[in-house]
Formats: sequence, structure tokens, C-alpha cells
Amino acid sequence: MSDFSSAFSVSTSGLRAHAARLRHVSENIANTDTPGYRRKSVAFEANSQSEHGGVQLGQVRLDQKDLKRVFDPSHPMADDTGHFSGSNVDLVIEIADAREAQRSYEANLKMFDQTRQMSTALMDLLRR
Amino acid sequence: MDIRNLNASQKYAAAKPATVPLSRSQADDSPLPEIAKDFAGTLREGEQIAMQAMTGDADPHALVQALAQTELAVEAAVTVRNKVVEAYQEILRMPV
Repeated sequence: MSDFSSAFSVSTSGLRAHAARLRHVSENIANTDTPGYRRKSVAFEANSQSEHGGVQLGQVRLDQKDLKRVFDPSHPMADDTGHFSGSNVDLVIEIADAREAQRSYEANLKMFDQTRQMSTALMDLLRR
Repeated sequence: MDIRNLNASQKYAAAKPATVPLSRSQADDSPLPEIAKDFAGTLREGEQIAMQAMTGDADPHALVQALAQTELAVEAAVTVRNKVVEAYQEILRMPV
């Protein structure tokens, strides 16, 4: 397989990884108000099985930060003190994470486009 | 018979072996069939992933990658073919 093809598949693995990361961010944001929800985060790993390298997703981890205590005595899950455990999702962190995923996705997309332009330029040279 | 005619026919006879097709064993080292097979494989893979993407099985990233790879392969094949045809026409235009 040529270097161009390898570059395509590496860029694609990056695109896929960042799409999955964005999905986890949106899961976190969707569950901001879910009682007892722990923020999900996923680590990236270098792909050692593939012949071209690239990135793959590691295991999903749950954030072990303390859950937010919300005071609401009328809530069905409230304990004796009138508190219940909310989620430990911080919207500011999630937004920043989403933006980072978007930027990294764009970077991978740019690399894909760059590879394509290079291969097209090479073929143009032959066409003259 | 003119001596020049005889000379020409002898030269033709001497040049004849050049037009004999290669035997199978001699043609085996040629990389062309391998390349053609590779090309067909790339095309087939692209079509398969495109079909899967339309039925909702493959993710769009795989589709984009397969199509870009297919485009690259087709472009290379078409360019090489054009060069070959061009060379052939060049030979046909040669004054005999």
C-alpha cells in the first residue's frame, strides 16, 4: 500500500476517534441533569495492530470526582437532609472539550485534503 | 527479380521473430497483471463500502476514505492508460 493510502487511513482513524470523542461529550451534556451520572471520558491510544499506525479509542472511564449535592427536599431521591446527588458534569469543561474535538477533527480533515491534493498533483504531472 | 526486393524480403523475414507473442513463462514476470488485480480489488472494496454506507452499515469516514482511495487508483490507471494509448498512436504515425 502506498504512503498516500496509509495517510488516508491514518487520517480516517483520527476522524473516527474525534467523532467518538464528540459523541461522549454530547452524552455528558445530555446527562447533565441526570442524578448520579458520572462524566465519561475516553483516552486515545496509538493503534499498534494496524499496519499503518493511527489512533484508536481506549477504554471509557468514569470521572471519580464527587457528585454535586443538590438541595431539593421535594425530590423523590432526596435523603434525610433534603439533598440528592446530581451529576458531576461541568458544562464549561464539556464545551471546551467539544471545541477541542472539533479543532482536532478539522486538523485531521485538513491532512486528508492535503494528501488528496498531493496525489492529484502527482497525477497531474504525469498527465502533461 | 530485383536484388533490392530480395534484400527487403530477407530483412522482413529476419524481423519476423520480433512479432511473435511471448510464451506464458516469459510473460509471467510482468507486474502488469498483479497491478490490474490490485486495482480491481481497490475498486471492489470501494463499491462494497459505498453499498454498506447506503444501507447504513458503514460509517461515513470509511466511505470517504474508500472513495478517496478509489479515486486515486482510477486516476492513476486512467493516466497510465492514456500514456499507453498515446505511445501506441505515436508508433502508428511513424512513417514506414
